Amino acid sequence: MKKNEEFYVSYIEDSIGKHTKRALKRFAISSIVVIAASALVFSFSQKPFNNSTFELTSATKITGTFHENPYPMLRVEVAKKTFKNILLLGFGKSSANPFLDKLQNEVPDLNGKTLSIEGNLIYYNGKTLIQITDDEKVTLVNTKKVKGPEKETVSKMTLQGEIIDPKCYFGVMKPGKGKIHRSCAVRCISGGIPPVLATTDNNNISEYYLLTDLKGHRISDAILPFIGKPSEIKGIVEKMEDWYVMRINPQEIKVISETSNIY
Amino acid sequence: MGLDYQLVLWNKHKKTYDKIIVLSMLLYIILFAVVTLVFNSETSIETLIIRAFGTLAIIMLHIILVIGPLCRLNSRFLPILYNRRHLGVSMFIAALIHGGFSIFQFHALGDVNPIYSIFTSNMDYGSLINFPFQVLGFLALLILFVMASTSHDFFLANLSAKVWKRLHMMVYFAYTLIIAHVFLGAFQQETSPFTIGVLILGFIVIASLHITTAFKERKIDRAKNEEKEGWLKVCNISEIDEDRAKIFTVDNERVAIFKYDRKLSAIHNVCKHQGGPLGEGKIIDGCITCPWHGYQYLPSNGQSPPPFTEKVSTYELKLEGTTVYINPKAFDEGTEVTPCKY
Ligand code: HEM
Ligand code: FES
Repeated sequence: MKKNEEFYVSYIEDSIGKHTKRALKRFAISSIVVIAASALVFSFSQKPFNNSTFELTSATKITGTFHENPYPMLRVEVAKKTFKNILLLGFGKSSANPFLDKLQNEVPDLNGKTLSIEGNLIYYNGKTLIQITDDEKVTLVNTKKVKGPEKETVSKMTLQGEIIDPKCYFGVMKPGKGKIHRSCAVRCISGGIPPVLATTDNNNISEYYLLTDLKGHRISDAILPFIGKPSEIKGIVEKMEDWYVMRINPQEIKVISETSNIY
Repeated sequence: MGLDYQLVLWNKHKKTYDKIIVLSMLLYIILFAVVTLVFNSETSIETLIIRAFGTLAIIMLHIILVIGPLCRLNSRFLPILYNRRHLGVSMFIAALIHGGFSIFQFHALGDVNPIYSIFTSNMDYGSLINFPFQVLGFLALLILFVMASTSHDFFLANLSAKVWKRLHMMVYFAYTLIIAHVFLGAFQQETSPFTIGVLILGFIVIASLHITTAFKERKIDRAKNEEKEGWLKVCNISEIDEDRAKIFTVDNERVAIFKYDRKLSAIHNVCKHQGGPLGEGKIIDGCITCPWHGYQYLPSNGQSPPPFTEKVSTYELKLEGTTVYINPKAFDEGTEVTPCKY
């Protein structure tokens, strides 16, 4: 230990010596420099976030044809003869279905009926979703049955990508994918948010596939172990207007060791 | 001094200390937020909060961990140690904001209890790269909580210095958990040589300071003293400064031998408050004064002056010429021993 003649005692007035004071000043300044430098290093080192959007504080009303194939969507005509299928989601990490129950009790089969829904929009890269927070905001506009979107089979495919929960990925959270976000995605999909396979090809074009089982029914628990990990998935791809649907056997999903390149 | 938990009083230095803590934390958060909002403006507010407070907490933890060894190497830094508690509690608050927002963001509003979800949403406990890193952060936060909530002298007095000290040594375990939390979590995805570099550098600084201190203290413990008819030869009287002490290890216990008013007295080196090294203290107004928070003991009997009730063990000394000898057998705490005159 360095020889130190000074001796500071907190309750003795002015016992803090000149050298002690200098040492303390040096320590305080060094700490502040470390603090400022680390703030810069940590903030500048963040990867860019994507421009996905969640309109948490503003509500939008959309009207269109309801269909559940197998995930609830609203087919909205955005331009003459151009339709967008907006994925319906519940509040928090939950499915939209509980918010449709009230109406479904009055009108047994909602498929093909025209509904109006007020909720918070989520959108990114051409896809739009809506969060419903109140079952009062789902209203029946027309009981006349309208034809829903056609599904056409594309082909059998083997794709590499990452299973994401679309609610977070398309806007609620950043980053809404990968290891950091994995637990949350598991919670969302376990809570009834539809699982989506996101892929990005060499030209940075992304595609999104709603995942169902081979019979076209919902899946959730069976794919929880694969969420948020780069995976290889085999299945039959169908096109449903602006979305792809992929029928898969969850047991055939393979986790691959590449780093995820979806964005 | 067990009668008065408030001994560690507020004074003007402490206020300055607290001001520096609060302003530095603000500086960090503001810098982080401004840089992020200007250069990476698509961030979400939640992510900004989670990241700003998580990284602030780990930087503060580094500062906290270097204070101990710095003070052992240079006693001029001791006043920092004196109020380390507030630094610890502030760091816990930053970690709590980070952890709390993360729990809400990633686990709340789901189909199970959020705490249960932390442990079960990711079950890859057998994998390193997929390991459920949030569990590690959660356990670390629990430890920091226990430490922050028992940091007050009330607990110190009621838990005994030994238990308390052991509890607070868990900070090293928490540090290990947090490092694993970050390397197995954020760094798997937000991989940057700069942030990884900062934490590796931090580890090297903390580890080397601790190792240097340990070597230095081992030297004291390893020094062999010559024995003569049950007495151990310790040093020459001139090696001890007036009103100060030298520390020796006898019978595996550290003992401080003080020199004052042409007298010598020896007491057990460990302060009853938080285990501060009394041998690095000073005689003030006739009392041995602990360098850490100023607890006092009378050199002749190891007792705190009334109304305080702390007592440490005392030892018998003997002089032959200018050579000091000690009887390695400690007396019971607070036993009166006639000081050795020279
Ligand atoms: C309940 C406890 C905790 C949870 C749930 C938790 C969760 C998380 C999550 C999800 C991330 C990744 C965030 C992102 O990069 O977007 C993260 C990163 C991090 N955590 Fe924690 N954490 C907890 C406790 C702690 C504690 C106690 C500390 C340190 C004192 C800490 C320090 C960090 C640091 C330094 C990072 C990396 C920087 C960052 O990305 O924020 N965490 N934590
Ligand atoms: S006064 Fe606190 S350790 Fe001695």
